[in-house]
Amino acid sequence: MTAYLARRLLQTVALLFLLSIVLFALVNLAPGGPLAGHGQSRHVRPERAAILKRQFGLDKSLPLQYVIWLAGNDWMKVDADGDGVADSYGTRKGILRGDFGFSFRTREPALKEIGQRLPNTILLMAVTMSVAILIAIPIGIISALRQYSIYDIAVTTFSFAGQAIPEFWLGLILILVFYATLKSPFSGEPLLPAGGMYTLGIGFSLGDRIKHLILPVATGALGWIAWYSRFLRSSMLDVIHQDYLRTARAKGLPERTVIYRHALRNAIIPLVTLLALDLPYLIGGTVFVEMIFSWPGMGRLYYQSALQRDYPVLLAILIIGATAIILSNLLADVLYAYVDPRIRYD
Amino acid sequence: MIRSRESTALSLVCLFALLLASLAGCGQATQTPQPQPTATSPAIAEPTATQPAPTAKPTATQPPPTLTAAPPEPTSVVIVIPEDPPSFNAIVADTGYDALVMELTMLGLTDIDPEGNIFPELAAELPTIDNGGVVVDEEAWTMEVIWKLRQDVQWQDGTPVTADDVVFTWNAIADPDTGTWMQGIDYIGGVAKVDDYTFVISYTGIYPGYLTQFGGEQLVIWPAHYCDAEQGFTAWDCARAPMSDGPYVLEEWVVGDHMIFARNPNYYKADKPAIGQVIVRIVPDATVRKTMLINGDADVDMWTTEPIVFDLKDEPNVQVSISPYPRWVLRLFFNLAAKGTVDPVASPHPILADVRVRQAIRMAIDVDTISQQIFYGYGTAVWTELFRPPYGCDIPGPKYDPEAAAALLESAGWIDQDGDSVRECHGCLNAEEGAPMEMELITYSDFGEPMLLAQQLIAEMAGKIGVKFELTVVEGSVLWATAEEGGIEQLGNFDVDLWDDGYSGTDPTDFLWELYAADAAEPDYGWNISRWINDDFNALLDEAYTLDEAVRKDVFCQMAAILDEQVPSILLFSVINAEAHSTRLEGIQSTTFDVVTWNAEDWSVK
Amino acid sequence: MSQTSGTAALVTNRSSWVTARSGKMSVWRRFRRHPGAIAGAIVLGLITLAVLLAPISPYDPETSDLAVRFQPPSWQHPMGTDALGRDLLTRVLYGGRISLLVGLLVVAISLAIGVPVGALAGFYGGRLDSILMRLTDMFLSLPAFLVLILLSAILREVDAPLIERNNVLTIGVVIGVLSWMTFARLVRAAFLTIREMDFVTAARCVGASNRRLIVTHILPNAIGPIIVEATLGLGYAIIEESGLSFLGFGIQPPTPSWGNLLSNAQEHLAKYPWLAIFPGLMIFLTIISANYIGDGLRDAFDPHKVLKKVGEV
Repeated sequence: MTAYLARRLLQTVALLFLLSIVLFALVNLAPGGPLAGHGQSRHVRPERAAILKRQFGLDKSLPLQYVIWLAGNDWMKVDADGDGVADSYGTRKGILRGDFGFSFRTREPALKEIGQRLPNTILLMAVTMSVAILIAIPIGIISALRQYSIYDIAVTTFSFAGQAIPEFWLGLILILVFYATLKSPFSGEPLLPAGGMYTLGIGFSLGDRIKHLILPVATGALGWIAWYSRFLRSSMLDVIHQDYLRTARAKGLPERTVIYRHALRNAIIPLVTLLALDLPYLIGGTVFVEMIFSWPGMGRLYYQSALQRDYPVLLAILIIGATAIILSNLLADVLYAYVDPRIRYD
Repeated sequence: MIRSRESTALSLVCLFALLLASLAGCGQATQTPQPQPTATSPAIAEPTATQPAPTAKPTATQPPPTLTAAPPEPTSVVIVIPEDPPSFNAIVADTGYDALVMELTMLGLTDIDPEGNIFPELAAELPTIDNGGVVVDEEAWTMEVIWKLRQDVQWQDGTPVTADDVVFTWNAIADPDTGTWMQGIDYIGGVAKVDDYTFVISYTGIYPGYLTQFGGEQLVIWPAHYCDAEQGFTAWDCARAPMSDGPYVLEEWVVGDHMIFARNPNYYKADKPAIGQVIVRIVPDATVRKTMLINGDADVDMWTTEPIVFDLKDEPNVQVSISPYPRWVLRLFFNLAAKGTVDPVASPHPILADVRVRQAIRMAIDVDTISQQIFYGYGTAVWTELFRPPYGCDIPGPKYDPEAAAALLESAGWIDQDGDSVRECHGCLNAEEGAPMEMELITYSDFGEPMLLAQQLIAEMAGKIGVKFELTVVEGSVLWATAEEGGIEQLGNFDVDLWDDGYSGTDPTDFLWELYAADAAEPDYGWNISRWINDDFNALLDEAYTLDEAVRKDVFCQMAAILDEQVPSILLFSVINAEAHSTRLEGIQSTTFDVVTWNAEDWSVK
Repeated sequence: MSQTSGTAALVTNRSSWVTARSGKMSVWRRFRRHPGAIAGAIVLGLITLAVLLAPISPYDPETSDLAVRFQPPSWQHPMGTDALGRDLLTRVLYGGRISLLVGLLVVAISLAIGVPVGALAGFYGGRLDSILMRLTDMFLSLPAFLVLILLSAILREVDAPLIERNNVLTIGVVIGVLSWMTFARLVRAAFLTIREMDFVTAARCVGASNRRLIVTHILPNAIGPIIVEATLGLGYAIIEESGLSFLGFGIQPPTPSWGNLLSNAQEHLAKYPWLAIFPGLMIFLTIISANYIGDGLRDAFDPHKVLKKVGEV
């Protein structure tokens, strides 16, 4: 297993390297660029464009830009003042040393931009997925136990429906209903807030935080609940018909023990790896929920950076996202091998 | 066996997830600015005793406690905007949102009011030739402007605002490494301090826009003792944690979420601002902003668009402030060079190089219908670039006359002989015999639905006179990118281009140069995307660099007349410049020449 | 999410791709006994028929009629009219053509890439398997939606033959190129198992070539999960397209698609809700039907499931 792990980790590094090239090319190939229509004045003055190009490092060839992005330029001389003479050392260290450059939009370090928003996304997605799992497990199990009953049909329909509703649409409807229309019978205030993470000026209040989480989590979790419950139902159904359960019943075990002790455990095994595979969503988050509910997270940052071609931030998010996916895949495979001794990797 | 393994695995996953989730708790993105001591004046670290100091330490895990400062009037106003300001330095990124917060906290030499009148802010008075503030050397064709600063303005830590700050600001801008470009920067020879409150700007030519160069919407004066020149004008930290000399002080900034401003007790106008606290909240979705406005959770919505203004007109607790003069005008630009090329002489556009075709298309567009129906009538018809004060020119407006347009096209050699309601060239100026009158009309997606609807209507109206348009929508960042980046306008990869634009401030000279000068037709040098070359116009442009306002106006109007006759572009109508606000807020006034917080110190709450 | 379904499902459902013709009932008959799937098939069939019949509408989907803007549903306009006075029903039907076309294109491309990759990897194993799986992993490591945004921006401007700013093809290719991995994994797992089975060995003994083995013997038996995944993929593609359109990257107006009809309707939700309800409803019905069909197929292909009629528990 350790040999396998070591090999996988090596492959991970190679994969990341390859991905970095692909992503860098992708981001730079997109037509348009950060010099386009800066702000209100649609047209960038050529003088300003020249300065910006230099400051952004876009005046070099693409391969050179890639190398600088990777390894920095403090080991080479650059022309910082635009006089055509490279007379000072660069200031960038490159992503290999943890320097992801600075955002074209704000001039702040790209990692700082991400760091300011990452916790918010993680919070939102962690709550969303936890809620989804907590609801999906009992729903899915019961649905499997009572296959083809009215309950099962209702749950199935609900789960399909949950995956068929676009998030941005649902989110807006929820706001219109719970914020614009329905008011609390006590205070006449809107039932739930229209967005944001907390109410300003009242200090930290768990109840306030929860209130602000309800609608975004409901919007985001619907699809996940649908997905997980469906999956669990399928998994449970497979397990129920297994022979060893028949043996357990034949042994005289009460049905309840059969289900909860034996069937459930084995039905949840695949869910574990599924969860591990879905972990990257904690970081990637969702653009729609964050936009509709004014949640200052990664998804929104990515979308904004994509629109404005903020390359350093874009690349940083993509690389971090890809790393998360690769690592979680590794985790999933390892976990699966650990949990199910029948699986062996050579 | 399986039991323990699987539960271990489950707990591993949960642990991992919890670890990630705990990052959320630790890393609350609270960035509470504290004017940092610079290397040169370590003594000034805390606000002076006269200012009741709100706790300014960045709190790691909690949102800030309630304000410890107790303003005389505990009023609070909420402004909602769709995206984060990138910094407080508006001239760097010019998103408008940066200007919004910049105007709350800092001052320039001068500013412009909604009527287009320039008034002094940091300056004691406006320097003119009459009061000796402007000295022109007729022979060398240079000028000098002597500015006198107010003596009673302080930074929030008590340091007075002096000429040192102005010189510091100029040096930072002009720095070749880390500076930026500003209007008229080429004309400035130098900025020299005379005494603490007087300085001189020497110009290498006659620059008429000298009054608003260091003020207006984009530029303010930065504190020499606080900003770090090493970091450079475009990236210094003091643009993210500013030191105020304006009506408000930044108290807290949670990136992506909100900013809180409190009254500046050191503001030189003792009785202003009336409102104790201004909160800026980031709310990306327009419908949510509208709903917040209706519910009273927001007081000001910046740059409210026509559909929302229309939706809000019946709301009892919402009013809309509309600027007296608009800035952005919807316009069509013709490409006089063949699509994909930039030389109108070597490869003229087969259809659009003929001025009669352009005039015909202008006559075929029913501007009023588009403005009334799609933009709810909030725009005014605009047909010349020179329509704002102080250079409003009297150009007769185009008539909507599709029959005359059709007749003009016929006489220009564009006739529909095969009955498919699209004209072909039969004796036209530049195209091959039989070539159909088909073109591509391109616009950008970022504006939203009304622009796309306008595009479709224009295409339909053109279709009625036999001109067929294929519609394309692209991102703004692709339309306006440099030629190197594949910019559509710069590369001439279009036939007709629809978008909104307009110049800031009161001086159209630079704008006119960028869009219509001959030199500006070169890719990545200017923005004359029509590739329209007109010698008379160029000559007039040179003449506009004079201080004689009467001469300027006359020159501008001559230029307007040429544009009207040659039609390299069609201006349609203005887009609204308005802010929807709650009725309890008074004193707010939208303006073309600035952002809505230009007079935030004058706002009050009923 | 759909990307992970194949892997996990296949591991627990190893037997599900064994030829479904063994066992007492054929796939088709088992499918027929699944009421949800039948309903789904009918609804999807109706929707497909409706969008195919779009041209018989008396209205043009793109011509404006400013006199009747924002009309609520009525006899002349069963779904109301939009901001330019265009009949919404007509636009929804034409939009359906686009959306369904995108969906089919995505599935087609996913299959076209995923099936060969998975088949070759699963059949030959060894080095080829390793390389192909690493390729699959690389694509799987790309944050899908984020890359979608980038790709659609790039390809939209490309003036290559066939693509040429053609939205439908571009979006279809873009989404398809990022969703073939599930099929690859599915097919590979199937091949890994089936190639060890006796009938394959028998065929090999008789002298069947590799190609014949793959195409004629193994692939037909792996069809089950592929078809199931394909129906789910249709739903996934439609949702992705609508998401892209909402952000401004998908199908561009004036060409209607369900996605951009929805996104344009957002700002009018309070005053003219029908603009959002009907396209949303169509997306909803289509995806639900596709999912039900997929569900029915999954049950139909699995010989271990005992289908009980509704009401018998």
